[in-house]
Amino acid sequence: MKIVIVGAGEVGSHLAKLLSREEQDVMLVDDDAERLASIDANYNLMTLRGSAISFNTLRQAGVEKCDLFIAVTPDETRNVTSCAIAKSIGARKTVARIDNYEFLDKHNSDFFTRQGVNALIYPEYLAAQEIVTALRRNWVRHWFELHDGKLVIVGVKLRENARIVGMHLKDFARTEHNFHVAAIKRRHETIIPRGDDLLKPGDILYFATTKEHVGDLLGLCGKEEYRIRKVVIMGGSRIAIRLAHMAGDEFSIKIIDNDMAQCRRLPEKCPNCDIVYGDARDIDVMRDEGVDEADAFIALSDSSETNILTCLTAKELGIRKTVAEVENLQFISEAEGLNIGTVINKKLLASSKIFQILLDTDVTSSKCLALADAEVAEIEVKPNSKVTRGPVKSLSLPYGMTIAGLIRGDKGMLVTGNTLIEAGDHVVVFCLSGALHKIERLFS
Amino acid sequence: MIACLNKRKNVIQRVTIFGNVRKINFPMLIRVLGWLLMIEGIFMFVPTVTSVIYAESDAMVFLLSAIATLATGAVMTFCIRPSNTQMAKREGFLLTALVWVVFSLFGMIPFIFSAYPLSVTDAFFETMSGFTTTGCSIFESVDVLSHGVNMWRCLTQWLGGMGIILFTLAVIPMLNYSGGMQMFNAEVTGITHEKLRPRISQTAKSLWTIYFVLTTILTLLLWAGPMDFFDSVCHSFSTVSTGGFSTHDSSIGFWNSDYVMCVVTVFMFLGGVNFSLMYKASHGDWRSLLRNDTFMAYIATLFVMYVIFVISIILAGHAKTIESVTIDPIFQIITTITSTGLTADNFENWGPLVLSLSFCLMFFGACAGSTSGGAKIDRLLYLLKNTNNELYRSVHPNSIRSVRINGNVMAPEVVDKVIAFLCIYVMVIAVGGIMLTAMGLPFMDAFFSSFSCVSNTGLGAGVTGYGGGYEIIPDLGKWVLSILMLIGRLEIFTVLILFTRAFWKK
Repeated sequence: MKIVIVGAGEVGSHLAKLLSREEQDVMLVDDDAERLASIDANYNLMTLRGSAISFNTLRQAGVEKCDLFIAVTPDETRNVTSCAIAKSIGARKTVARIDNYEFLDKHNSDFFTRQGVNALIYPEYLAAQEIVTALRRNWVRHWFELHDGKLVIVGVKLRENARIVGMHLKDFARTEHNFHVAAIKRRHETIIPRGDDLLKPGDILYFATTKEHVGDLLGLCGKEEYRIRKVVIMGGSRIAIRLAHMAGDEFSIKIIDNDMAQCRRLPEKCPNCDIVYGDARDIDVMRDEGVDEADAFIALSDSSETNILTCLTAKELGIRKTVAEVENLQFISEAEGLNIGTVINKKLLASSKIFQILLDTDVTSSKCLALADAEVAEIEVKPNSKVTRGPVKSLSLPYGMTIAGLIRGDKGMLVTGNTLIEAGDHVVVFCLSGALHKIERLFS
Repeated sequence: MIACLNKRKNVIQRVTIFGNVRKINFPMLIRVLGWLLMIEGIFMFVPTVTSVIYAESDAMVFLLSAIATLATGAVMTFCIRPSNTQMAKREGFLLTALVWVVFSLFGMIPFIFSAYPLSVTDAFFETMSGFTTTGCSIFESVDVLSHGVNMWRCLTQWLGGMGIILFTLAVIPMLNYSGGMQMFNAEVTGITHEKLRPRISQTAKSLWTIYFVLTTILTLLLWAGPMDFFDSVCHSFSTVSTGGFSTHDSSIGFWNSDYVMCVVTVFMFLGGVNFSLMYKASHGDWRSLLRNDTFMAYIATLFVMYVIFVISIILAGHAKTIESVTIDPIFQIITTITSTGLTADNFENWGPLVLSLSFCLMFFGACAGSTSGGAKIDRLLYLLKNTNNELYRSVHPNSIRSVRINGNVMAPEVVDKVIAFLCIYVMVIAVGGIMLTAMGLPFMDAFFSSFSCVSNTGLGAGVTGYGGGYEIIPDLGKWVLSILMLIGRLEIFTVLILFTRAFWKK
């Protein structure tokens, strides 16, 4: 598949690297030669120097024959214009990054379609959405919905008090069949479990289940879902404003910002929030504002380091749920290791959203998620393929993979040893990294 | 989904962060080397078949060499299971340099055991001379050699001309990732490495297609002339790769045919053009040819040289026939500038000016990204433009001028790198020459053969001069020359970097 990306900023270059690793034909366009040089020398993709809104450059980039055109320069109007030009030249599908909520409004979508922009990406909005999900489902580490939520994959961290800690997988899996343990993340490695694997405290378990049975997991893992009411946000950034719009009624939000001018502007933009002028790094300010009584603390300042550290302070003050915006990719794994509940990164949100759009365009590409060293794929079963030849237990599937669930017609269901897989099913497979291409053969 | 991508990003990030700290991934290196060896083994079946057709005793030698190479490659590939398949910059450099050495080590086996056996030193020299398209031969006479051996000599040039790694990138999908990128950069000649298409394997395939098509056309054209099929295949291998091996002692003079001379001249010329440019031109983008400064400089050089050569020939009183002022000088200029290293009739009698100009042509060679050797005309262009700027600046100290190539302004770092390259290039030639004088070679011959090997031309003067081969050089000298050829072919940095401490430091 041919993909042209305009704008080699953080989102653009991250996306280009990601897609090039997925064996797509990637062309990266930017007007800064230096920025392109290092990517060009180190990654399996092609770069071109030129303007995002030049017909000539875009033609040279091969937009005529491209399947997906992505404009992610820092300027939204440039992105929209670039997409319009690309569409007129012949791009099949165009995506533009925007910075303006109004653009996302359904009433205005006609305008963009006419302009030739097929999809819009708004990273701040995505980040706010992610935060709301994290606050609502505060007991899980990861939450993915497959196929419009017909199957759910939930990552839960086991604590000492969980009922299943110290049990073998086969002992409890046999009695209840409403879920399937698809993978275990233990420290830095991911295990595709077998029946005799022992569960230890500190493991992150990935369950595949359907929406109605998610509740069962709570008791099993010794978790409780608590309602979050009081939320404290550090930094009145655009994400904070978007969050206030989205969920200002559900939560009572208090925004702390250390910029007086910003504090004066905020009441107009988020009328349903309390605004406090102060430095959230100062523990006295936090106490004065009753941060220790809040249910959740969200750090959204410009500095990733500050966000991580204030979240740790908030944890010490006794706040159960913390969310940190971490824009430095290097810090993300460290932040997760430090017990920060949820880490938000705008770049990754934007690029994964674009990745999803890409998957919608290309039905044969089936990889949908990737964990540290494991991959999750949704694969369509072809007629007469190997997996349809008998119940799952008699298939002698290779090690390092498990079938987590399947979607037949419109219904999500779990797979047991006796399930017979049929042609046309969408199967969700967990496997260790790099094994995917071997596994795909089983299904085609 | 987001969280997951986050996770994945960690892994990628970890690799890049610790990329410099990591140990060199030897298991993976050996595995890839194994793959490459198997490809060489497969190519060895070509001379095997040739020998079988001509019912020569060398058929067995080639068969056994092919099997030995294949088996070694298979053992290296299938017995080693690297836990980590990551290959970064350092592996790219190391692998590229190693491949050329290992290919020569296995490629020399047939020469050692053929009907006219060579010593290990001579065989290595001959093979390296083939793969690097230098084209200087250790054989006193190639007429006596079997068809199989001649075929293998020309085939090594053909493989090395476009690049061993580049061929592999085109056929093995395993290398189609960023590790392959590093190897591509380490092997392909030139200052910047232009990609034709987004994926490296597609670029490699496009370049090889052009190469293959040129070879096929040349074979057919030669076959249509006085040559038989075997000779036309061998000569098209060594012409398009601008190597210069022949199946006869008198080279293409053997046929004494203007047709052969003309056809070979045209294809040597094409072999000296940037292959990316040819790809674009073949896809209808003719304007890129005219807009390309290097290509125009190439043409201009040829034209100016032709005029000077013709005047020299007339002054020297050798303008007796129409050929001696048309095809002969053109042939001589092109064979020198593309580092093919053939010689026209009585070239040595054209006067000292012609000889010294030939040195210049040898030094700079043709376009980067072609199969020719030398320091490449691109770099000459940088040097001239930069010198011009420097001179201008000494009069107007506050002016800002930049080096423009193909209409693009080049960053000062690139210019610096080119100047550094040229300095080191001259130093390598000098060091090589000094080492040879230490072995007792006459001063002139030592420096000339060092120069000739670094620029991959393969001409000789004096002891190694016309008629005389490289067989007179002592064994140690041959090893030195072999390494010089490799340094010249991989454009210095790829080989020299292996001898720096920074490369091996954890």
